[in-house]
Amino acid sequence: MKKALNAIGNYFKNIGIAFAKGDIWVKLSAIVMGAGYFARKQIINGIIMLLVEVLFVVMCIGYAAPNLAKFGTLGTVQFEQVFDPLTMTSTVNDYDNSFLILLNSIISLFLILVFILFWIANMKAVYRLQQKKENGEHINNFREDVRSMFNEKFHITLLTLPAIGVILMNILPILVLVAVAFTNYDQQHMPPNALFTWVGWNNFKNLFTNSVTVTFGYSFKKVLVWTLEWAVLATFTTYIGGILLAKFINDKKTKLPKMWRTLFIVAIAVPQFVTLLLVRNFFADNGIVNTFCSSIGLTDFLKSVGLVSSNLTYIPFLTNPGWAKVMIVLINIWVGVPYQMLVATGVLMNIPEDQIESARIDGANPFQIFVKITMPYMLFVTGPSLITDFVKNINNFNVIYLLTQDVYVTSDQLLANSNAKEIDLLVTWLFRLTNEYYNYKMASVIGIIVFIICAAFTLITFTRTIKGDKEEEFQ
Amino acid sequence: MKKKVNLVLRHVFLLLLVVIWLVPILWLFVTSFSGYKGINTSHFFPDTWTLDNYAQLFFRSDSIVQYNRWFMNTLVIAIFTCIISTILVLMVSYTMSKLRFPGRKQLMSFSIILNMFPGVLSMIAVYFTLKTFGLTNSHIGMIIVYSAGAGLGYLICKGFMDTISVSLSEAARLEGASEAKIFWRIIIPLSKPIIVYTVINAFLLPWGDFVFAKLMLNSGVATDWTVAIGLFNMLGKSMINKYFSVFCAGGVIISIPISILFVIMQKFYVEGITGGSVKG
Amino acid sequence: MKKKVLATLLATAMVAGCLAGCGGSNDTAATEEAPAADAATEEAAPAEDAAEETAPAADAAADPVANLIAATTDTVTLTVWASEEDQDLTTQLLDEFKAAYPDVTFDITLGAESESTAKDTILTDVEAAADVYAFADDQINELVQAGALQEVVTSYTYDVATENAAGAVEAASVDGKLYAYPMTADNGYFMFYDSSVFTEDDVQSLEKMIEVAEAAGKKIAMDISNGWYIYSFFQGAGYELSLNDDGVTNTCTWNAAGATDVAQAIMDLTASGVLVDMGDEDMATQIAEGTIVACVNGTWRAETAAEAWGDNYAATKLPTFQVAGKDCQMSSYSGYKLVGVNPHSANVGWSMLLAEYLTNEASQTARFEARGLGPANLAAASSDAVQANPAISALAAQAAYATPQRVGGNFWSPAETLGQILASGNPDGTDLQTLLDTTVEGITAPVE
Repeated sequence: MKKALNAIGNYFKNIGIAFAKGDIWVKLSAIVMGAGYFARKQIINGIIMLLVEVLFVVMCIGYAAPNLAKFGTLGTVQFEQVFDPLTMTSTVNDYDNSFLILLNSIISLFLILVFILFWIANMKAVYRLQQKKENGEHINNFREDVRSMFNEKFHITLLTLPAIGVILMNILPILVLVAVAFTNYDQQHMPPNALFTWVGWNNFKNLFTNSVTVTFGYSFKKVLVWTLEWAVLATFTTYIGGILLAKFINDKKTKLPKMWRTLFIVAIAVPQFVTLLLVRNFFADNGIVNTFCSSIGLTDFLKSVGLVSSNLTYIPFLTNPGWAKVMIVLINIWVGVPYQMLVATGVLMNIPEDQIESARIDGANPFQIFVKITMPYMLFVTGPSLITDFVKNINNFNVIYLLTQDVYVTSDQLLANSNAKEIDLLVTWLFRLTNEYYNYKMASVIGIIVFIICAAFTLITFTRTIKGDKEEEFQ
Repeated sequence: MKKKVNLVLRHVFLLLLVVIWLVPILWLFVTSFSGYKGINTSHFFPDTWTLDNYAQLFFRSDSIVQYNRWFMNTLVIAIFTCIISTILVLMVSYTMSKLRFPGRKQLMSFSIILNMFPGVLSMIAVYFTLKTFGLTNSHIGMIIVYSAGAGLGYLICKGFMDTISVSLSEAARLEGASEAKIFWRIIIPLSKPIIVYTVINAFLLPWGDFVFAKLMLNSGVATDWTVAIGLFNMLGKSMINKYFSVFCAGGVIISIPISILFVIMQKFYVEGITGGSVKG
Repeated sequence: MKKKVLATLLATAMVAGCLAGCGGSNDTAATEEAPAADAATEEAAPAEDAAEETAPAADAAADPVANLIAATTDTVTLTVWASEEDQDLTTQLLDEFKAAYPDVTFDITLGAESESTAKDTILTDVEAAADVYAFADDQINELVQAGALQEVVTSYTYDVATENAAGAVEAASVDGKLYAYPMTADNGYFMFYDSSVFTEDDVQSLEKMIEVAEAAGKKIAMDISNGWYIYSFFQGAGYELSLNDDGVTNTCTWNAAGATDVAQAIMDLTASGVLVDMGDEDMATQIAEGTIVACVNGTWRAETAAEAWGDNYAATKLPTFQVAGKDCQMSSYSGYKLVGVNPHSANVGWSMLLAEYLTNEASQTARFEARGLGPANLAAASSDAVQANPAISALAAQAAYATPQRVGGNFWSPAETLGQILASGNPDGTDLQTLLDTTVEGITAPVE
């Protein structure tokens, strides 16, 4: 923490120094970017800097200013349209679209921030040039500068393109999402026809309070608990299942291991959405499995045991909360185990044979070997990816959505009052809120919370692996 | 004797597992030949057998079923997605693995966290961002959606590159090769398994995604769709009873190339993923 | 200042709209006949002729359609959304529409979007939605609120307000303003049955039906865990559900004194396992397989039922059911399919003309002939073929007990869950009054 503060402190100190000690050209660079380069005869660099500055000013005037001016209110002019029945044309007023204002403002703010960083970097670079000149060091010409982009500054060259993509697809949308959480953007305030505006922390308060009619707080807790239960169950069942299956197939006693492996791979080669939709119909209330179960008397047996309520003529595989939760986990095992088996196969091949051999000589049975040697090794090797899987399962949209959408009806009234269901994960609930109820504000709030949960998990594990730095070990 | 029984039991058990795993796939396969278009809920095997579902997919395109177009659309999107994604992933993983620069670790932590953000959440924002550039309802837009953020998924690839000995690049550096040259001539050829892994994953993405595709390709015109939307649409409330077996046929068709790809690439895939996940 | 100008403009537009509307109704018949009469002799735009013939006194400039044709120089690009089942017919109608205006080049794209889910796609991005689209009337409130429907201030080729059934026009209106063009009047539900199992007397009472079906070892299906259908019990027993004036929240008396009897009745009805809670897609399969001999559903299942039951296929109004020993007639929602015009369309004028074309008498008749959908158009509905259609006459019989669907979004989820709990026999044994109280709390929840 202190280190970070220091770094920030130094960062600003450097600009100060540049300002204080810079000559007239460096100072001029603060206003006319590129001036410092012109002074050191780096004409092309200077022109590029100047061009960037001009573009930035144009952007500010033409794009950022009009949007940022409305950022405080998110627009005031309501959409109005007049239809002229005689000419059969309609005229629309110059209305504000709150969402576009929000989006464009965020893009503008982002660009401005980038420009400021760029400006600071420029100041420093110009000052360094001055120092170099004063010390009589070599000053790169343009060609040398370009060449450095493929050597000491190769990381910048390589990261620019991916960074642009990530900013466009990940960072900007996340910023928009965060902003929406503080507005009243929902079905009653939907652009272009209506405006929405800032409401501060209200949405967050709604989530955690349990007022009489808005059961959001209740639903949130329930959904969160099931999300975590699901993530744990789904991750461990497929993980253990995958290892066991891989061990079983790779065992020397198993004939034709390749064939068996391929058969399991066929099951994952069919795209997930196809298999999941298929399985949903397979286990439907009036589906083929139910026909089979009732014809062999399983349905009646389960009824007599009390696992299926008496007025049903089928097993509610995907329609009763208890059954559905179990089925979803089982189906997820079905979907996930072949994948894990593939991974585990690779890892198991690398297990140091001598350890297992010596344990065997010591008289350990296969189970003990598995628990004492195989599992710790597997955990050591795949630990980080286990956490990745866990986080992926928290956000496992496909399995839940495809298996239960349009099929599952909740029987918990309080959940129903918030449009949630027992089997919903936070993501599926959120998807329904945005897709069917257009409750963007609450969806954003949940989104932020999901993100915080996931980020916490990842941070804990990954900072450890990054810090632990086994990176160089193999190199 | 006991050994033999054990051996048989072991294979019977394995067979049982395979049956469990393949029954739904078998159902998909046999239903795709069903003469009855809806869901047959009383018999596993169809009552009448026909190739008509395939014929309908390939030769009788109408305004709802445009399988050939879907297939081509998805293929084009998948090819471009896979090229762009792979390049982006390689660029980032190489940088993170082999280059040392200030702020590297912070950047890594940051991107890992960012990658944990589920796409479903920010969908609407992505949609409107792309709409501002006029990229909704276009395949270019879809390619951007699938590949632009790919750089964040560098972790496994980086892990693999970490295992490539640093002495190779050191030697090259001593001979005066630039960083760019080392990247192209040394690291890329040695990363074959992980490249294959990345390529397959990126290639598969457009075939399986329907959420983003449905949002982005919202013109309602069937010829614009990808296979995933088209097939998903066939199981809509008003369609399922007339298109279920056609859906199955469509599912079988896309599974064939993907299965072949998987089986061929199996070796690389295992090497790639484990080489990478060893270090996470 | 700006607002004032706008208001004046609006007022003028409305007056003009009324005038044009009245004129429009006179023109109608002529316009429709005109193409047929004139096509052989001259190529002039039919609407222009119609205007000249019927309103000789009027200046040609006062005829909006002629104006529009004259003002249209570029290709008119339109997108139309029709349901998956309606694609063939719509393609044909679009060709006819293009032929009716030979002077204009059209580029019309037809997309598939089910009427029942149109709202979901449209509201996500109104500007990207089709220019002309079909939707179910229950979505009209939300669509109007989101600004996704162009008000129908006047009609040009036929009079929408008078040529369609009054109920359909009402369903296409919000606050007395017409927002859409009625396309069909058959989106409600009623009872399908197999007449080899039930007599006409049997189907008068649900209890009797259950008795008969049980004796026959068959089942009766209804999608009870669905707000749309469970409404029929509560409304039938006299409990109220309506939309408030704000157009968003609901008023609901399903927890009033005595309402627990209705809940008990539903539980009793489903207890035997003969009346089963089943979704629409399942019903289709089960009818075909012969396990279901009667079901509450709509015209879209008529084909399936007719195929499975052959000559024994029959349909009628919903039966009565017993609440605390008293017979109550089951109510229902009357439903309509409508065609709307997107105000964000670049060619609002042409979109309106196209919407009118897709819903005029000839098109509605064609739709009935091709797909058996009940016309909203009075003339089309009065034809013998329509009258003889069992599903449509059943709907007509049910009409007396049907109410238009006006309900806010908070209704669906709680009602669905209520249905689910009752149909599964209230497994937790919750006190019925508490159950209904919670449901009503959810249904009437305020919307910020």
